[in-house]
Order: sequence, then C-alpha cells, then structure tokens
Amino acid sequence: MSDGTAPAPLAPPADGVVAEFAHLATDERIEHAAAALASAGMTAMVVASGEEARRAVEDLLPFGAEVFNNTSRTLEAIGVAEDIERSGRYQPLRLRLYQMDREMQQHEMRNLAASPDYVVGSAHAVTENGSLLVASASGSQLGPIVSGGGHVILVVGGQKIVADVATGMRRIYTYCLPLEDHRAREAYGVGSGVNNILILNRSIAPRRITVILVREPLGF
Amino acid sequence: MSDHPGEPSMFDYDARPVTAQIVLVGERASSVGYAIRDFLSRNGFPYEWVDIENRSRVDEVLAADDRDRRRLPVCVLPDGARLAPASVQGVAAGLGMLSPPSVSSYDLTIVGAGPAGLAASVYAASEGLRTVAIEAIAPGGQAGTTSMIENYLGFPQGISGGELAVRATAQARRFGAEILLARTLAGIARDGPGYVVELSDGTIVPSLAVVLATGVDWRRLDVPGVEQLLGAGVYYGAAPSEAVTCRGCRVAVVGGGNSAGQAAVRFSRYASHVTLLVRGHDVGASMSQYLIDRVRALGNVDVRESTRVVGLDSDERLRGLVLATGDGGTATDRLPVDSLFICIGGEPRTDGAATIGLAVDAAGYVRTGPDVDAAPGGRDGWTLDRQPLPLETNLPGLFAAGDVRSGSIKRCSAAIGEGAMAVALVHRRLAELTGE
Repeated sequence: MSDGTAPAPLAPPADGVVAEFAHLATDERIEHAAAALASAGMTAMVVASGEEARRAVEDLLPFGAEVFNNTSRTLEAIGVAEDIERSGRYQPLRLRLYQMDREMQQHEMRNLAASPDYVVGSAHAVTENGSLLVASASGSQLGPIVSGGGHVILVVGGQKIVADVATGMRRIYTYCLPLEDHRAREAYGVGSGVNNILILNRSIAPRRITVILVREPLGF
Repeated sequence: MSDHPGEPSMFDYDARPVTAQIVLVGERASSVGYAIRDFLSRNGFPYEWVDIENRSRVDEVLAADDRDRRRLPVCVLPDGARLAPASVQGVAAGLGMLSPPSVSSYDLTIVGAGPAGLAASVYAASEGLRTVAIEAIAPGGQAGTTSMIENYLGFPQGISGGELAVRATAQARRFGAEILLARTLAGIARDGPGYVVELSDGTIVPSLAVVLATGVDWRRLDVPGVEQLLGAGVYYGAAPSEAVTCRGCRVAVVGGGNSAGQAAVRFSRYASHVTLLVRGHDVGASMSQYLIDRVRALGNVDVRESTRVVGLDSDERLRGLVLATGDGGTATDRLPVDSLFICIGGEPRTDGAATIGLAVDAAGYVRTGPDVDAAPGGRDGWTLDRQPLPLETNLPGLFAAGDVRSGSIKRCSAAIGEGAMAVALVHRRLAELTGE
C-alpha cells in the first residue's frame, strides 16, 4: 500500500482495534466463510497451519510456472515468498521485473506484471458471506487478481474473517493501514495509503481463484 | 527506490524481491567485481552492489574481519554464506547453478545458449531428442545484452535481448532440454559414431550429435592500457549491469554495428552525454537504418564517424580517450569520458573445439556444407559417401549454427533460423546412424 506521499507515520492500531481484528476466528466461523467463498465461485480450503498452507500452495503451483508473489507478510511468514523467489521450481516474476531496465522496458514490464500465469497473495479481510477485500497503494496487485492472472491463490490468516464488508473496510483503515504504514517506512522509507480497494463478491470463472484459510493468525 | 530516482513508478515497490538478496561488496574499479555483476545480471539474479567506500552500508553487511581489501570482492549469498574473495565460479557454485547432467548420454549436445543454441534447444527438445545445452556465462549470448531489438518478427514494440533469452530458456526447459550453466567448453572428441564433450569443471557429456553455437566474442580494442582498465570504466559489450551506474556520466561507445547503436540508445537514457565512435566514414554501412534514425534523434548522443580510439587517459580508472580523427587518422583529439563500452565486430569463439580439427576460414569462423571443400584438405578425414549437410562441419554429426559459422548473417533472427535448421539436419544424421 506504499504511495510515497503519507506525510507522517500513523499511530499504531488502538488496543480496542487490535482486540477486534487480531484474534483468530473460531473454527466454525472459518468453515462458514469457506463455504461462503465456495458459493461465490471460488475454491476454498481450510488448513490447520501456515506450514500446511505452504504445502498447499506448492501442490497448486506447477513446476516451471510463471508466478508473481504479491507483497505479503503472510507469504513471507510461512515461507511461500522464499519458495517462489528462491527454490528454482518456478519463474519468479518479481526477480525478472527487478532485473529489467525501467528506462527501456516499461512496455514489457507492464505486460509481465499485469498477466502472470499464477498470482499468489493474501487479502485484508474475508467476510462471512464470502466477499474478499484487498487494499493496495499502487493498485498493481489488484488487476491480476481481478482478471489478469491465470490463476489466483490467496492465503488468508484466520484472524481476517469479518462479519461484513463494512467491518472489513474498518479493518483495513483502522488496523491494516497503520501496520502497513510502519512496514512500508521500514522497507521503502515512505508511508502507505489506501489508494485502491478491491471488493471481490463472486468469481465467474470456476477454479480460477483458490482461497486457503488458515486456522492461525497470519500477516496483518 | 535509490537505483531509480525520479518520478514514482508502479514498479518501485512491486518489482523488487521480498526475500534476501545477494550482496556484493567491492571496489568499483575491480575487474572481478565487474565480472560477477555481469554474471549475476545476465543470469537474472538480483543483487545489491555495495562500494567499499560506502562505509555505513559496509558496516551493515560485513563483519570487521571481512573488510580486508585483499579479500575483496566479498559476496554474501541469500543463505548468509560469505565468499571472500568471491569469483564467478564460486558464486555460481554457491547459488547451486552447477548441476550435473541428469543422464549419461544425449542425442544432441548444443554448445552455447545464445539465439542459435536456444533455438536448437527448443526445436530439438520439442521434437523428442534428448537435448543438453552448455553455456559459459548466461543464456542469450551477445544478443542477451542488447537493450532493445526492434525489428525482431512478432514484437512490434520491440523486445530486449535479455527478455528474449529468458523466454527462450523457459521454453527450452519446458520441452525438457537441460541447460548446464557457468561452464566453458574444454574439448570435443570423437566417441564411436558420436562425440564426447568435456566441460571446464571436468563434466563429460556424450552425445550422438553436436551443434556448435558458441557465437562470437567482442573484438579486443588494440589500445595500450585497455586490459588494465577492464571493469574500471572500460567494458566489452553493452554491459547491462553498468547502465544504472552511468547516470549523469559521460559515456563513449565504440563500434558501428547494431550492437553499438543499441548500446548508445540504452546509455542515452542514463548518461548525461553519449559519444558513438565509428571507425568508418559512414555509419549507414554497418547499422540498421531504424537504429541510425533513433540514435540521430537523441539529443544527448553524438555520432563521430572516421574516428578511432588510439589512447586512454586514466588514473585508477578511465578518465578520457585520445582519438584519431579524419580519413587519414592524423588529427588527434581528447574526449573526457567516465565509461567506454567497446562493441566492435567479433572474434569466433572456437576455444575448446580447435583440437578436433574443424575446418575454419581465414578469420577462424567454422566452415560448413559445401564451404568445407574450400578449405585445403577440408574433407581429408571425411569417410561418408555424401557431401556434408548444409550446416554440417567437416566432421559428420558436428554442426555449426549462428555467428560462429563462416558466412552466417550476423543477426539474431538469422541465428535463430540456423538453430532450428540445424535440428532438422541433426535428425537426418541420427537417421543415418540408425539406418532408418
């Protein structure tokens, strides 16, 4: 969500906000959300741990596939970012883009970033009736999730289940943004902003989007 | 991000690795440091270059006992391993790039993974041949360092040589071709009906047929002091790894071919000024018209024809050039520059293949097909009752394709065509061996 314009660091989330949005949902709520995601045209899986989620992602990614890993604390925490960028099993698009000449290859970079075979990321909230919410400062992660990516795999910690879209929006602004602002200042030296929000209510392409819900708190 | 100051880009945050990178610490004017940067860049490994004079960053990445200048450059790998002093081979090994062949013998060995070798790899593997390619530096060859090929069929916006190489490598691997990287050809010998190829690390690769697609090296610039300044302001080729470091600098490119023109276009995006030095009196004699138009339209590029580099000004690194100008080359001039990129002509890369007795032309390029007979004794060892096939050398089953071949058109698309054509001829040779 970094945009380079946030003027001052944001205060950390208030205690009440943390209490509301950092705690793991019950198994029943997670299963309920998974069923709702399935009803909304997505493939939903529930796994017990980050390690299981990592194996599930590995099972879903074909050897040699072109993969873009979205910036995600969740993916970093469970080792999926490392698997994609360093294992040699895939073609990691982040590394390829980083190597490209920004002055000479803008056209190729846009094409590559917009339409990976596989995009792996996370979401900031999943509602009990099966909507996904993803916020982004640059917005570049959102296009591939909506339609550019051939396949989408989202790994979502069980603390991100919320009652409805309105609660999900509150989660983004009051909980995710301050934490992401802090992360972006550490990583890039600039703040963050909720410049783009994707609300994904239904997928019309069967099996294109897989959501792995984890019975562990992961990421923001 | 610091490498690319200026306006924010969509790629500033989304096109950078999120996992640990390779860190390379050294002196800017170091030929080994440059060789490692070039190797990493061309093989698609992101890295952070830290100049030893950047004290604060050095303090962050190196322990005190790793800062001995005699042990530079130091390379810190993503797993935390430290190589000091680092070498290209050491880095390749540390990154797990030196995998052995997966099987004991192949139908086809391709020596060189430039455009011709990659095309041969794709076509051979896709047609079911057990195929292995070996490559000394990085897939893509000389074309892989080209900033933008604008006249390659099917890419109306152009494609960079590096991206073409990445795609072709992935394509070859998808069809099952193996690519053994970071090893040079040490020798080729007859082995029954086929050949055995030996690599620089001692790896032995037997196969029924061989395609030699080793391409060309840049021709050495015959000026005193050039070799001592390699990596210290003097570079052979377009050196993609150095483009960003040329921001705001004065750059000279030597050469009149498309490679030199493409290098001038690339560096014009970064450098304050680029001077293209062309020995001939008309750059149009050797460069594609679209590139000439592009270069001439750039406000910060000068084209100086009838000009040769005859000397270098330097202290610990390059500071300027001494030029001979005019048709007679008698007038001299001095040009202050920070970097010199040498993109002149080419020398056929036949090291390691020389001892087997290939017929070559006067310039050392490998003769094939009917051209074999033009060499004195060209077919002395030839025992078959047929002529050499069109891309076949004077040795049955050993083919040459691309820039290394005598008479080849020195263009990327021509090399790719020859790579594909060589595979069709390999099939004929294999059918001959099996009596089909």
